[in-house]
Amino acid sequence: MNNKPNNKIRIVTSASLFDGHDAAINIMRRILQSKGAEVIHLGHDRSAHEIVECAIEEDVQGIALTSYQGGHIEFFKYIKDLLDESGCGHIKIFGGGGGTILPQEAEQLHQYGITKIYSPDDGRKMGLEGMIEEVIRHCSFSLTAASESWTDALPLGEKKDIRKIARAITLAEKGESYSTILAHMKGSDRTDIPVIGITGTGGAGKSSVTDEIVRRYLGAFTDKTIAVISVDPSKKKTGGALLGDRIRMNSISGPRVYMRSLATREDNTAISKVAKDAIAICKAAGYDCIILETAGVGQSDMSIVDYCDLSVYIMTPEYGAASQLEKINMLDYADIIAINKFDKAGAEDALNDVRKQYRRNHLLFTAANDELPVTGICANTFNDKRVNHFFGLLLQKLKEKTGVLWDDALPNSSHAEDGRQDAIVIPPRRVRYLSEISDSVRAYNARVNEQSDIASQLYQLNGAIQILKTLPEMK
Amino acid sequence: MQSILQKQYEALEKKLSPEVKELMGKWKELKNKYEADFFEYTVRGKVIKQQINTVSLSGTKIPKVVLPAYKDWGDIVQWQMQENVPGEFPYTAGVFELKRQGEDPTRMFAGEGGPERTNKRFHYVSADQPAKRLSTAFDSVTLYGQDPAYRPDIYGKIGNAGVSIATVDDAKKLYSGFDLCDPSTSVSMTINGPAPVILAFFMNAAIDQQCEKWIEENKLWHEVEKIRKKKYEHQPPPVYYNPSSPERLPDGNKGLGLKLLGLSGDEVLPRDVYEKIKAEALQQVRGTVQADILKEDQAQNTCIFSTEFALKLMGDVQAFFIENKVRNFYSVSISGYHIAEAGANPVTQLAFTLANGFTYVEYYLSRGMHIDDFAPNLSFFFSNGMDPEYSVIGRVARRIWAKAIKYIYHGNERSQKLKYHIQTSGRSLHAQEIDFNDIRTTLQALYAIYDNCNSLHTNAYDEAITTPTEESVRRAMAIQLIINRELGSAKTENFIQGSFAVEALTDLVEEAILAEFDRISDRGGVLGAMERMYQRNKIQEESLHYESLKHSGELPVVGVNTFLNKKGSPTLVPDEVIRSTTEEKEQQIENMKAFQKRNEEKSAEKLDALKTAAGNNENLFEVLMDTVKYCSLGQITHALFEVGGQYRRNM
Repeated sequence: MNNKPNNKIRIVTSASLFDGHDAAINIMRRILQSKGAEVIHLGHDRSAHEIVECAIEEDVQGIALTSYQGGHIEFFKYIKDLLDESGCGHIKIFGGGGGTILPQEAEQLHQYGITKIYSPDDGRKMGLEGMIEEVIRHCSFSLTAASESWTDALPLGEKKDIRKIARAITLAEKGESYSTILAHMKGSDRTDIPVIGITGTGGAGKSSVTDEIVRRYLGAFTDKTIAVISVDPSKKKTGGALLGDRIRMNSISGPRVYMRSLATREDNTAISKVAKDAIAICKAAGYDCIILETAGVGQSDMSIVDYCDLSVYIMTPEYGAASQLEKINMLDYADIIAINKFDKAGAEDALNDVRKQYRRNHLLFTAANDELPVTGICANTFNDKRVNHFFGLLLQKLKEKTGVLWDDALPNSSHAEDGRQDAIVIPPRRVRYLSEISDSVRAYNARVNEQSDIASQLYQLNGAIQILKTLPEMK
Repeated sequence: MQSILQKQYEALEKKLSPEVKELMGKWKELKNKYEADFFEYTVRGKVIKQQINTVSLSGTKIPKVVLPAYKDWGDIVQWQMQENVPGEFPYTAGVFELKRQGEDPTRMFAGEGGPERTNKRFHYVSADQPAKRLSTAFDSVTLYGQDPAYRPDIYGKIGNAGVSIATVDDAKKLYSGFDLCDPSTSVSMTINGPAPVILAFFMNAAIDQQCEKWIEENKLWHEVEKIRKKKYEHQPPPVYYNPSSPERLPDGNKGLGLKLLGLSGDEVLPRDVYEKIKAEALQQVRGTVQADILKEDQAQNTCIFSTEFALKLMGDVQAFFIENKVRNFYSVSISGYHIAEAGANPVTQLAFTLANGFTYVEYYLSRGMHIDDFAPNLSFFFSNGMDPEYSVIGRVARRIWAKAIKYIYHGNERSQKLKYHIQTSGRSLHAQEIDFNDIRTTLQALYAIYDNCNSLHTNAYDEAITTPTEESVRRAMAIQLIINRELGSAKTENFIQGSFAVEALTDLVEEAILAEFDRISDRGGVLGAMERMYQRNKIQEESLHYESLKHSGELPVVGVNTFLNKKGSPTLVPDEVIRSTTEEKEQQIENMKAFQKRNEEKSAEKLDALKTAAGNNENLFEVLMDTVKYCSLGQITHALFEVGGQYRRNM
């Protein structure tokens, strides 16, 4: 496959709006990744607008969608219309829906400009691999300078020209010059744009935390914009990547947010080298705030601090023994440390341990707990009071470190007492309920066997006694 | 010698538990009870007397329930403690003493187009049934809690693969002509994310039907008309209109539920009358709302709210049910069907589903509800495929549930009884040689009926390729009717009890489920396991396993990978698929818009009240019962997003 690193194929995958059938698209995206593509996977139930916005912001060559719930004609055509209206007709559309899309309907969609609707018969004839190879062939075109048509109205009602921003980042990724695009952007001279770095171990919930920050930011500052640059690792073996941060996010689709997912590509780091360019481009575009989210990092990784004005380290209570904390470099460097999944067992202990370690690292032996930038959060609880507190802390630190303060007062949502309590569905002392049940059922079964054995013996004894009674010599 | 034995006997007897002694003591009595001609038992205080035999054409007296001929007390004890007659702990053979007479477990699924078209279908499928058991499929717009709209990605889905319901008026039309408070009517609704809202639509429809009856009895329609005239002075009132058969109401629909279309009972009746009617209606309605959010996250993906908020809403519905004595309605249908459809094998299906059920139990208990107040409102829903374990799925489910509820949660007998609906497996149907599908469905239905299911849906043979037609649905119904009414062995209600194979399989599957419970428990219980995506991954793995065996031919599927016809048994593609029409779609959008417009003044205030109630952690279902009178589904969903958060998808 002619898929050189400087002409990476990027594809958005998703199941359609109001459609939860994600099994097929999950198989497809895995094969795409294994063939070296960078896949931005949106999951299921995504509107045409969300998908197209994502495709433009991520500057992909193709969109692959499944639709099993009907309405596919309208859905695919609408995707095509939105792309064309946005001046992004170059993005190819692929689709499938098993037997729900009739052959004559597929034909109708092909004529409308949908690149290919795959039928079950195609699957049988070409095999899944064959289908994906065809998709990749269709998408093997190079993305070059910004289109000259990108001068008219901003696409999709966005606040900035997301097409140009996206393309500039793509050129940076290819190692080509993007200065012509930048030259047209306003805001290049602003120095008040803070970069917030978010890093942490894999699975700590960085994307959810980022999403919660964006949500609160948009609510608190109703005229401000924000850009999110999120990095995920490329697979060494295939060159492909699963860029999976968007799937967790609910706040990023909208005119005031730009999001770009970057694969680390040949770099063996938590941050793509291009991140610096991406940040510069977003600054040039005039976003009021930039978040850089790294891939999952190891204990020693602290590369984020070179990229940002303020760094946040996200971890969970599950780090092992307290001595592990001594090895984490970010506990020396992070401006804020957030322990996510704070509803987990052992969370309070973790908070104490991390605070202790922070005190040692920073020689703050006498500091009170609330003077330390160490906090527990529950990013998966909606409007979690701890996240509200964390957001307030973030704004405060931002002011201390960069002098940037957008409003005089902190937004309302930063008042911890306004938020929700930890959502306790199952009380911690009941968490082993299923084992209790299995133990109890097994104990019942054992009791049945034991009692039935006794009853059998009684039956035998009774039988013997009856026989003895009837024997003449016993009388 | 005799005295030694006697001593030994007495010593051993002391080791018998009182419970077992009682079982042994009552065995003769129990046998006698089933040898009589009539059988008496009580249901909710009422004594029911039923014939216990049927007579075959040959004149053979066929017992409905057969007891073992065991002599050894050990065997008898073992049998009573692990099997027992239907209706007795541990309910392995069934939760009721005898099947209900005059009510087949038939429940058929319908939903297409607008509410009028589905209403017609409901009247068609239930025409000859004394019991009206309706099962509602909603379109995907409704399933995700949104309103119909002209926006193309929404528009195309309106009324497809289910009925479009956006307002309380739609619900009134959907069930019109069925008395929702009649004990022989029972309505099931397959809806999860927005379940509390749709349920509030339904409850209001039921209440308003009763209001109509009261107005009729008191001859007060002229008063109602005055109110209607005033309300609709400047706008057209909503009407029942089926574009595909505009001339009249469908056969069987006499218009109950339509006379207060566009009006709520509380707008036309005095407060106290309305409240009294409402209280009575709530105690009478019978049915099920699926509302199982855990399996949505694990398998089916129609979550819309954050999981924790969705659980809170479920708890609110249950708390409201307790408060208002909603006794005949299941607040949740804990579903394995979708877990199985997503690819899980039967053991995983049952283990995950029961585990989800116990999770709801734990959650409701943690909210302070009493086990006996809510356990009877829980119901289950399984899939029935071809695997051997499916022959005992109901037996194992009932047995584990009963044991756990009795010994861990100390619930009463009613709480110990697990009742379930079962549907033949859609996944086991194939798009090749579709005529063979009815054979699969028949066998699965037989499994289900022998296993004493409480309710059964048989799939239509053409489901693998299209939306079933009236003809294919009729054939599917015939499958269960033939088993229930024609097949002699099904006259015996515990026909499979006592089979060595069935008993051994029951024990094996039970232990397999317990082992899975332990695995889930090791991952922090159901919610902990969900966070690690344990269930999703396991379902995916099992799906892959099935597909690869099917592909290699190791798992024979007749007409699919073996026994192909001369043409190679190609995949069938339908020439045409039933889809909702432009007229239906536009009617739904316009009706919804008109509803929003005429409630414009009130809706914002009602949505604010809902949000405030959420902030104060009040019972939101109670508030929703009022909100739905003025707000559409989409309006409510968006208000709830603001206070409860949207669902966060998983990879």
